[in-house]
Amino acid sequence: MLQRIGMNRKRALILDTFNTKKRKNGTEKFGTVSEGDGPADIRSTLEYLMTLFPRKVFNDALPQIVLKHQLYSIHNDKTMVDRELNKLREQGELLMFQLGFDADAFGLVFASDYKAKVLAEQEGRDTQGTVQKFLDKVVAFCTELSFSKDKMLREFLFTDSEITQLVKSGVLTVRDAGSWWLSIPNSGKFTKYFIQGRKAVLNMVKKSKYGEVLKADLEERRTTAHVKFHMKYHIHDIVGAELVESIQTTSGILLRFVDS
Amino acid sequence: MLGFLTARQAGLDDPLRLRRAESTRRVLSLKLNPDRDVDRIHGNGINTIDIDVIEGRYMLSGGADGVIVIYDLENYSGKPEYTCKAICTVGRSNRHVHKFSVETVQWYPYDTGMFVSSSFDKTMKVWDTDTLKPAEVFEFEGNVYSHHLSPIARKHSLIAVGTKNPKIQLCDMKSGSCIQVLQGHRAEVLSVRWSPRYEYILASASADSKVRLWDVRRAAGSLFTLDQHNGDKSKASSEAVNTAHNGRVNGLCFTGDGLYLLTTGTDDRMRLWNSATGENTLVNYGKVCNESRKRLQFTVSRGCSPEFVFVPCGSSVAVYGLHTGELVTMLRGHYNNVDCCEFHPDYQELYTGGKDCNILAWVPVLRPSDVEEESDGANKGAAGQTSVNPAFQDAWSSDED
Repeated sequence: MLQRIGMNRKRALILDTFNTKKRKNGTEKFGTVSEGDGPADIRSTLEYLMTLFPRKVFNDALPQIVLKHQLYSIHNDKTMVDRELNKLREQGELLMFQLGFDADAFGLVFASDYKAKVLAEQEGRDTQGTVQKFLDKVVAFCTELSFSKDKMLREFLFTDSEITQLVKSGVLTVRDAGSWWLSIPNSGKFTKYFIQGRKAVLNMVKKSKYGEVLKADLEERRTTAHVKFHMKYHIHDIVGAELVESIQTTSGILLRFVDS
Repeated sequence: MLGFLTARQAGLDDPLRLRRAESTRRVLSLKLNPDRDVDRIHGNGINTIDIDVIEGRYMLSGGADGVIVIYDLENYSGKPEYTCKAICTVGRSNRHVHKFSVETVQWYPYDTGMFVSSSFDKTMKVWDTDTLKPAEVFEFEGNVYSHHLSPIARKHSLIAVGTKNPKIQLCDMKSGSCIQVLQGHRAEVLSVRWSPRYEYILASASADSKVRLWDVRRAAGSLFTLDQHNGDKSKASSEAVNTAHNGRVNGLCFTGDGLYLLTTGTDDRMRLWNSATGENTLVNYGKVCNESRKRLQFTVSRGCSPEFVFVPCGSSVAVYGLHTGELVTMLRGHYNNVDCCEFHPDYQELYTGGKDCNILAWVPVLRPSDVEEESDGANKGAAGQTSVNPAFQDAWSSDED
């Protein structure tokens, strides 16, 4: 009789008891808490970060790009973020790219955005047909970041000349002899401005007194010509990549430069 | 917690569940305790500590000056303030002391009559604890970074040794010589660990960014190499074939049940692997600062649910949830880099040693006594200054005897 009751009873995880306990007896949270607990909505975070991307700087030719580690600055649970992103990629809504300047830096673009921008750019060019074919056959089904020659020729039935056209149009970037990264056309400018801006913002934090600055202060500061993106975009980047430490204080969030 | 106690009383829950819940609660409340201290003997940094498996009473520590100290961790004084005394030392005056820094020490897994230490003076010594003289000395060609005896071995008595040489040596204590060599790494082997689940499985980490798993009964090479991308060729740069980390791999630790393996590397990452298949579980711990050029000794809790990983990060120890990857807390207390840490499973205590020559004991915070008991204590304890937990008070012996 007892056994049956035991099996029907909903078993709570041991850690759940301690999580609630921690919140009750734990230290008070200073400053504003930027993210809420509970099932996080990665999609809405992505959309928020996409709004920080400056389209005017690139004359609207690039789709909105967000970096994967920027999400880590908003949500605490990195493993959960990774899992949700993989789910979105499997569903075909999100595309991930290896940006090239850092082994860990992955760029995220909504699939619809990407397709629209690429096709708009290809309008009237002779490579348009191939690119369209590539988008329909490969990008729609495959969640890979790179492709080898073998795969392109056999699985997707592209010819050599078609592959050359794809590289010319910027959809594929050479990785090494016989394999290519999936890439965003004209993203060279993005990478250049991004790295410049990141260095400039990091220097701002580093040169401050004690190597730390309040996040609210940093957002208010006048940016030099080097910083082409929105300050918040860069702040999410450096916090998520753990290049600065984010500390809760009574006057808000403090960013401290991490000497490594 | 009361819910767990009632369920245990009524028989609705397995007794193990209450034990795990209490262990987890204790680990979550680890703090530096002003009452608990460890004798300060080392004059230089402490590189390694080990607590014996059988009783959990004696702790070995090896220092950068070649000194080895044995401490008694048990508190029989009846008072809450306690200093773990050093029972004996292999000091600089001992004829057989290591010439350079001791990198790894380990108790013999079956009793505390013997322990093994290895050092940068290219030797590994098997010591007799009573006489503090080495019963056996193994010599190698390069600095010895790490050695390990299997905690569960019944059929063999091999010590796996990782040195500057890319070959892993297996030394047999029964015969007193190196009987086997495992080839496969291309650079120095920084850490070796036996699996706590299968006595013939060995994991090794090397400066060539690879982690290999071996079955020592097999004549041909390793079983497999751990691949951080899980065979997903798209994520890797094409030259980096099958690496566990993007830098030197300097820390290895199996979980208590041997099902998972944790590795840390100088690319500031820590990864959790399924030890049977070699698959990267892709748990993201974030940036785990790691600048160590030698082995990093980190440890996993045992008997809690969920398990926690304690990793030395600079001058503090980071505590992560094993499967979630979230940073639970940072234990700050050392004045300089922390080199090693060891978890005491019976008392859920953490001992950490570092370059500041201190071994700190992190003890779970006791529950504060109730208001009622405190006022009673004030009335009774006119003579006694320290407030002893009523459970330890002697309530039955009479004054006449």
